[in-house]
Amino acid sequence: MSSILCPEIPSPGFSFENCRRNAMLEVKGHAMPKAQKTGTTIVGIIYKDGVILGADTRATEDTTVADKNCEKIHYLAPNMYCCGAGTAADTEMTTQMVASQLELHRLYTNRVVRVATANQMLKQYLFRYQGYIGAALVLGGVDSTGPNLYCIYPHGSTDKLPYTTMGSGSLAAMAVFESRWKPDLEEAEGIKLVRDAIAAGIFNDLGSGSNVDVCVIKKGSVDYKRTYDEANIKGQKQNSYKYPRGVTDVLSTKVVDIEEVSVRVIGAPEDMEIA
Amino acid sequence: MSILAYNGGAMVAMKGENCVAIAADRRFGIQAQTLATNFEKVFEMGPHLYVGLPGLATDTQTVREKLRFRKNLYELKENRLMSPKVFSAMLSHMLYEKRFGPFFVEPVVAGLDPKTYEPFICNMDLIGCINQPKDFVVGGTASAQLYGMCEALWEPNLGPEDLFETISQALINAFDRDAVSGWGATVYIIEKDKVTIKNLKTRMD
Amino acid sequence: MSLLEMCGMENAGSFRSENSLSQDISQFCRNFESNIQLGVPPFANPAQNLAQLNKDDAGRDIKIEFDHGTTTLGFMYQGGVVLAVDSRATGGQFIGSQTMKKIVEINDFLLGTLAGGAADCVYWDRVLAKQCRLYELRNRERISVAAASKLMSNMVYNYKNMGLSIGMMLAGWDKRGPQLYYIDSEGTRTPGKVFSVGSGSIYAFGVLDSGYKWDLTDAEAYDLGRRAIYHATHRDAYSGGIVRVYHMKQSGWIHIDNNDCNDLHYKYQAEKQAIQSV
Repeated sequence: MSSILCPEIPSPGFSFENCRRNAMLEVKGHAMPKAQKTGTTIVGIIYKDGVILGADTRATEDTTVADKNCEKIHYLAPNMYCCGAGTAADTEMTTQMVASQLELHRLYTNRVVRVATANQMLKQYLFRYQGYIGAALVLGGVDSTGPNLYCIYPHGSTDKLPYTTMGSGSLAAMAVFESRWKPDLEEAEGIKLVRDAIAAGIFNDLGSGSNVDVCVIKKGSVDYKRTYDEANIKGQKQNSYKYPRGVTDVLSTKVVDIEEVSVRVIGAPEDMEIA
Repeated sequence: MSILAYNGGAMVAMKGENCVAIAADRRFGIQAQTLATNFEKVFEMGPHLYVGLPGLATDTQTVREKLRFRKNLYELKENRLMSPKVFSAMLSHMLYEKRFGPFFVEPVVAGLDPKTYEPFICNMDLIGCINQPKDFVVGGTASAQLYGMCEALWEPNLGPEDLFETISQALINAFDRDAVSGWGATVYIIEKDKVTIKNLKTRMD
Repeated sequence: MSLLEMCGMENAGSFRSENSLSQDISQFCRNFESNIQLGVPPFANPAQNLAQLNKDDAGRDIKIEFDHGTTTLGFMYQGGVVLAVDSRATGGQFIGSQTMKKIVEINDFLLGTLAGGAADCVYWDRVLAKQCRLYELRNRERISVAAASKLMSNMVYNYKNMGLSIGMMLAGWDKRGPQLYYIDSEGTRTPGKVFSVGSGSIYAFGVLDSGYKWDLTDAEAYDLGRRAIYHATHRDAYSGGIVRVYHMKQSGWIHIDNNDCNDLHYKYQAEKQAIQSV
């Protein structure tokens, strides 16, 4: 009875209850739909005072651009951000979950969380799912040990590097880094380098596109430059294609009026009747 | 043929000036065979909140019921209306829970914030990746055609009347090039003080 | 003569070949001279083996979706033969055209309908038209419908199982009176009174069979054909557009009319409501 009135909190983690049905549908010849991918260029470098992360802003669904300005630099902690490439939902959800764990960890330890901790959490989580969670990440942040930059693969392996790229545009971006990155870059130089690397991905990789996002993380401060550079400015429409009013044939119309929604206030509890 | 195209269906939502609109076709078919032309894919989730669930019809209805349950529970617990943003986050997490055995729906959410009346639209892929642009979102089998129509027709700051014409024509002209959607359409124009629901006259072939 | 030459492989593996162009023309453009000879892929069982080429290197399907999907019908009655067709051409679920002509006017006394692969039908109907004209010139009389249909079925039979997809009706009026034949790429050729072909044919048959009589008047026959196609377009996703009606008479074919399905739907709906309200 109690289970009807007060349903139990569902068990955490993934649910596989549709899997058998879906496998059956696949056997019957219905193609499984593809999830949204980021098809991305994401990069990160270490410079003199910290870390700079960069990302493009295109999300694709097969060959369609599903989102022209999506956010691929995810918040993890006040001193840490993480770029995501691969299956869009996976990068989003994985970073959200780790962000909440890091916050709890911070409150528990009362210290600035180390980037290595986040790296370990992410790699252990991804390794557990054997690459089926398609998240390729570039993790950057500054902690008591200085600037840290990690590159995390979907299967759970990680690299600790001074400069790194990920996603389908990683080759184009890495070409820029290989030729121009050097230790102890100035901030302006670093931002320029990251912008150029992302731009290389945007222009040379079909899976990447639109704008450049940049995030500069220094000790004690973060400068998230959302739409740092609009690499492709859309041309102005020369004409308005607006339809004149009344061209659409309407069969029936229903209007639902909405009263000003008042906040429902619960009154003070009445005295209990004791008979 | 993808399982998302098994029953057919097209959907679009657009932002306007202090209003939003969401529109969908009314076909329910099994592959080539049209079974009904009065199938609802857009559902009311609050006075200013609507969700469209194009995709496999069985999942459209299952997800609708799951959402209704969770939304009602939230409103009873919290004693306040669910904002479109919270609703979308809830839906997104619900879909992602089934990451490895998904529901075959590509949801479209449209609404006004219950406090600020700020327009809100978003869509998701079938495992809950939220996409929240400033102009329009699409879903369903005619999405390629809808992207094209919306990209041409949409402009900023459309009032409710102009928004209605824009979204209707975008939808009609898109699904007229798609074999498995069409057969009538419903448009919801959501404003602060009222919601206008219109059934459109369209081709029935 | 080495095995290499016997197999015609002496130029394989090099681009150096003086006669490659003429070889290409003779091998793959035979239909320029004899249009019943199509270039066949240079391996056995093209129908099965071609399917293997429809995957790319990543194993994904390469989307080659030929225009398909149709509703066509034809029936004989006391006044001759009525043909009615829709006009939608689809590639996968995309509607490529809403105004396709699916009745081919072969000559004044022969009409063919198209269903199946659009390109296959259009091509082979054109070849058939040429063959019929040549027959006329050689024999100083029009070809019989029986002969024309046999010509068609024999031509496509040569390519059986190679992927052609044709389902056509041939209607005509010859010495023996009105004629209606059904021919398809499987090799079927059969005369009959009532046919419907295509993805929407099941719906068309429903209307056609319930309303069909031998002694329909002309107007009734046209309306029956029109309604059958309209109802098929309403139920079938791959049929639609315009309903075209043709009539084969003793004096040759005449085109009755074209009606947009949209107009027909709201016209029939209004008629139904008028009946119900009485």
